[in-house]
Amino acid sequence: MILLDSVTKTYPGDTKPALDSVSLHIEPNEFVFLVGKSGAGKSTLMKMITKEEMPDSGKIIIGGIDLDYVKKRHIPGYRRRLGVVFQDFKLLPRRTVYENVAFALEIAGMSGKEIRKTVPKVLELVDLSDQAKKFPDQLSGGQRQRVGIARSVARQPKILIADEPTANLDFLTTGEIIRLLKKINDFGTTILVTTHNENIVNTLQKRVVTMKDGKIVNDQKNGGIYKLDETPQPKLVRNMMQAPGHALKQRPRRVIQ
Amino acid sequence: MVGKKNKKKEEEIKVEDPKTLKKAAKSGLRTMRRTRKHHPLREEGRIIKYGTKGFARNFWLSSAATVVMSITLIILFVTVVASVILTNTADMMRDKIDITIYFKPTTTREILDQMTETISADSNTKSVVTSDSAEEYEKFLTENAGSDEIINVLDDEMKALMISKMQATMRIKVYNVDNLDSIKGIVENDETFVEYLDDEKQPTYDVNQVEIATITSWARIARTGGIILAAVFLVISILIIFSTIRMAIFSRREEIYMMKLVGADKRFIRGPFLVEAELCGVLAGIVAASVSYFGFMWLAPRLSGYGINVDEIVGLLQSNKLIIMFLIFIGIGIIIGRVSSRLAVSRYLHKA
Repeated sequence: MILLDSVTKTYPGDTKPALDSVSLHIEPNEFVFLVGKSGAGKSTLMKMITKEEMPDSGKIIIGGIDLDYVKKRHIPGYRRRLGVVFQDFKLLPRRTVYENVAFALEIAGMSGKEIRKTVPKVLELVDLSDQAKKFPDQLSGGQRQRVGIARSVARQPKILIADEPTANLDFLTTGEIIRLLKKINDFGTTILVTTHNENIVNTLQKRVVTMKDGKIVNDQKNGGIYKLDETPQPKLVRNMMQAPGHALKQRPRRVIQ
Repeated sequence: MVGKKNKKKEEEIKVEDPKTLKKAAKSGLRTMRRTRKHHPLREEGRIIKYGTKGFARNFWLSSAATVVMSITLIILFVTVVASVILTNTADMMRDKIDITIYFKPTTTREILDQMTETISADSNTKSVVTSDSAEEYEKFLTENAGSDEIINVLDDEMKALMISKMQATMRIKVYNVDNLDSIKGIVENDETFVEYLDDEKQPTYDVNQVEIATITSWARIARTGGIILAAVFLVISILIIFSTIRMAIFSRREEIYMMKLVGADKRFIRGPFLVEAELCGVLAGIVAASVSYFGFMWLAPRLSGYGINVDEIVGLLQSNKLIIMFLIFIGIGIIIGRVSSRLAVSRYLHKA
C-alpha cells in the first residue's frame, strides 16, 4: 500500500541528508507507528508521501500510484486519495465543523445530497454530531483533532497518514484520538502515524518503525516498543514524573531504541 | 470493478520485481486520473456560496476593503468631474469672447454686409453679427426698456442725434482666440475696413488679449492636468485597493495552504477569494456612485452660482446615463477587486 524504495532527500544548504536511502513497505490494512527524535526524518518522509517534497532519488509508490508520474497538476487529485491528519489540525478557521468536513467532499466533486448524507455519519463516528455548527476556535484541542480526523476519513481513503496527531493534546485526549485511529484501521484503512508518545506505541502493540539521522534503524513487526531516554531528568521533573498519575509522566524526554 | 482490479494488482507488487511494480504503479495512476466528473455549475455555486459566507464572516476586513475601495472610487470620480467642469467652464468663457469692431456712424447696411462677407471668408471666423447705427439705437431702446427716465427724454431730435453719433458694430466669434492675426490683418489692411473704421473706439481684440491668454491657459491646464490627475489617481486607487486586498489575503494565507494540503484544486481555493473581492467591488461601486451622485447634485447649484459650468455633468446625471455611471463604478470595482485578489492569492497558491 505504501512503498518507499531507497528514497534519499537532502535539503538545499544541508550537508547531511534528511532521508538516507530509506526503504519501507507497508501492507494494506496495517497500522504503523513511525517514531524517532526530532530531525530523524519522520516529517520529511510524511512530506514525501503527501508530495509536498520530492525525493532526490528513489521510488515512492502510494496506493499503486508511482509518485514520479504524478505531475504538478495532478497533485490535488492525488492528495484527495489520501487522508491526512496534522499536528496543528489545519482546520479552516472561518468554517464550521460541518463545513470543514464537507469541504473534503466538495473538493472531490460530491453532490450536495451525498454530502448531506455523509457528513453527519462521519461526525457521529468522531462523536461530534452536537458540535457541527461550531467554529474551530470554539472547540477544545481534542475536538479539533477529531474534526481533522473526520475530514480526513470523510472520503473513505485507503491510506491515512497522521503527523504527530497527539503532540498538542493531553493524556486523556491522546487516548481518545488513538482509539479513534484504531477504529478507522479496523474498518480497513492503512494507517501511518508519527509520534513521540511511547505510551501509545507500547499500548497498541502495532508495528513500530524507528528512524534516526534519516535512516530506518529498527522495524519491529507486531508489538514493537520503544523506551524512555535514559538521560537523567532534572530533579523537579523526575519527582513530578514519579508522582502517581501525573500528566508529565506521560510526556517525558525520550529517545528511540 | 476498478477497485477490485487495483487491489489485485497491489497484492502482486513485489519490491524485487521492478517490471510488475512499474506496471501496477502506472495502472494506479490511470485510476487516479479517472476522478469523479466535476459539474462546473455545482462547483461555481459552491464557490459563490463560500465567497459570500467568507465576505460576511470576515465582516470587518471586508468592510475595511469596501470603504477603501469606495473612497478611492470617489476620488477618481471627483478628479474626472473636476477636469470636465474646469474644461467646460474655460470653454464657456472662451465662447463668450468676441471681437468687436466699431465703424463710423455713417456706415450703411450694404457696406456692413460687404465687410461681413470679407471677414466670413477667413477660416478662423465662427460667426459675424453686425448692426448699423439705427439698429444700435433699437438695441439701446430694448436694453433700457424699463428705464422710463431715459425713454421719456428720447424725442425725435434726440433720436436723430443719437443715431448720428452711435457707431455701427461688427461682433466676430472665432474658433481660435489664440491666433487673431488673420482677422487683425483683414481689419487693418482691407480698404473698406480701413475707410469705415471708427476713429475713436478701437477694435476690442487688443483690449481682451490678457483675458484671452489667461482663459486659454486655464483651459489647457484643465484639459491636460485633468487627464494626468485622473491617470495618477487611477494608479493610486489600484495600488491602495490591491494593498488592502493583499493584506486581507495575507492574514488568511494559512487557509490557502490548508486547502492545498487536503487536495483542493487551485480554482476551488481561489474562487471564494475572488467572489469576496468582487462583492467588495460591487458594494464599493454602489456606495461610491451614490455618494458621488448625491454629493454632486447638492454641490452643483452652489458651484453654478460662482459661474462654474456644471451643466454637462448635471445633464449626464439627470439623464438615463446615470445607470451607466453606476455600472461603470461597479465594473471598475469588480475588475480592480478581481485582479488584486487573483494576484494576491496566486502568491500563496504556488507556495504549498
